[in-house]
Amino acid sequence: MTNQYYEFFCPVKVIAGKAALEHIPYELTGLGAKRPMIVTDKGVRAAGLLDPVIAACEESGLEIISIYDDVPPDSSTGVVKDIAGIYRREKCDSLIAVGGGSAIDTAKAVNILVSEGGDNIAEYSGAGIIKHPLKPFLVVPTTAGTGSEVTSVAVITDTAKSVKLPFTSSFLLPNAAVIDPRMTLTLPPHITAATAMDAMTHATEAFTCMAKNPLSDAYATAAIKKISGSLLKVMDNPKDSDGRLELAQASTMAGIAFSNSMVGLVHALGHATGAICHLPHGLCMSLYLPYVLEYNLESIRQPLGELLLYLEGPEVYSATPSSRRAEASISALRKLRDELHKRCKLPRTLKETGSVEEHQLDTIAELAMDDGSMMFNPKEVTLDDARAVLKKAWA
Amino acid sequence: MLAKRIQPMVFQARRLYVELMFQVMGRALQAVSEIDADVQKEARALPTGFLFEMMVMPNGSRLIVEHLGDGCFHYHGDSAPRPVNLSIQFKHIVHAFLVLSFQEKTSVAFANDRMLVDGDISYAIRMTRILNRLETFILPKLVAKRAVKEYPSNLHLPEKLLSAARIYLKVATNFVETVRT
Repeated sequence: MTNQYYEFFCPVKVIAGKAALEHIPYELTGLGAKRPMIVTDKGVRAAGLLDPVIAACEESGLEIISIYDDVPPDSSTGVVKDIAGIYRREKCDSLIAVGGGSAIDTAKAVNILVSEGGDNIAEYSGAGIIKHPLKPFLVVPTTAGTGSEVTSVAVITDTAKSVKLPFTSSFLLPNAAVIDPRMTLTLPPHITAATAMDAMTHATEAFTCMAKNPLSDAYATAAIKKISGSLLKVMDNPKDSDGRLELAQASTMAGIAFSNSMVGLVHALGHATGAICHLPHGLCMSLYLPYVLEYNLESIRQPLGELLLYLEGPEVYSATPSSRRAEASISALRKLRDELHKRCKLPRTLKETGSVEEHQLDTIAELAMDDGSMMFNPKEVTLDDARAVLKKAWA
Repeated sequence: MLAKRIQPMVFQARRLYVELMFQVMGRALQAVSEIDADVQKEARALPTGFLFEMMVMPNGSRLIVEHLGDGCFHYHGDSAPRPVNLSIQFKHIVHAFLVLSFQEKTSVAFANDRMLVDGDISYAIRMTRILNRLETFILPKLVAKRAVKEYPSNLHLPEKLLSAARIYLKVATNFVETVRT
């Protein structure tokens, strides 16, 4: 009898493609919502990305009751409380998050407060605290990387205690994720590259870490194929809306994959680097991915070799001896990283970021050792191992 | 028919085994924190008075240890003096049995969603490293390899035997003291 066991869960309706935004009124009405509130950030509003969302709703007779556009990059308990206050005052009955990871996480946390009651979001921190379905909630991602629209986690900073509060519950998942190519069309090249590499890392770690399973594998490989096929095309032609849609879908698919099979050392190092040096998450992912795959190589040779098919296509895959496919997969990722560096100077090493000092590597390694992702890395990581990977990633 | 008749006995045996293993592990955690510098180093990062619980849901066997400070643990048995800071909960006694009978590695059990963490995840990771270290000492290498993700290459036989002997001696002494009181 096989010892394999896995769980897979994704109840989020995915609405993707041309004129996807115009489905928002129908979806909200179907959920019994008539007074939606938009949660977003200043950058999204300034880029004009709210306009098609509002137009789509108004044209269908659905009035947006309130717009909160001041979500900071690292959202806090205070911001969540303020937004919940506005939601209640304006008698809203549903939420639409428009933005990247921070706006989406903030809206998830606001949904807890406005559904469960209270003003202190910290009371709901942890796993399994929320026991009931929350208010109708739609997400419109404006970056193609985080996958937050399909994850059951939110992280909010408690500014008073200087700690990051995690919230985990399947009830945090939105009712629908609306993926419309118009929302990512104006992403600047370096953000396009970093967020796509974030999604690539989600998919690669989902496929090679300990909780991999047949269903998450299917999503991960499809995501890798889409990113490999579209990323450089979009970098060369940012207005390629088909390519943009491919990346946005890949991000959601990678999100579904990793939320069901978790991630490993790349994320542990990335979280620690982000916390200490304030480097963007996607950049950390892009930077660490090849070095961690090299470190894990002997534990993941077989699945990593399989990925060559999705990274380079059937011709390269069949022309590469099976014993060399894992190394060839790492080379393909390095090649992609180098191409991105050529096009938008996306850093390839910690030194190239200009934001990390060599003396910080030990602190990063120590913090990474306590990261939850460490548990799912296929190889047991010691502090010395983490230091060694960081040293290789330095320059 | 026979299987149905012996089923209650199987359930009882499994429950007793898990309970016994929790008692041994709790005492062994206290013992290893008194003798091993690596475990002490890991445990020092936990707050003094930190209470760790490992239990079977919903109200099954449990072990509770407290960090007394300076890397030393104290085993409290199955009752905590106050609300615990970190709880690792097996969803079912069968899942606990799989891990405690070394049919499934702790890390695999986490990956398979057999267990829930209630509390700070970074402390859970640290406690898992301590449990792994303990298992590499007290279990024969062949069994330990089934229990931990990777058996440490730098743990040699003399150190392992000496540490195991000291841990088992302390566990036995603790058992005797518990019976006396």
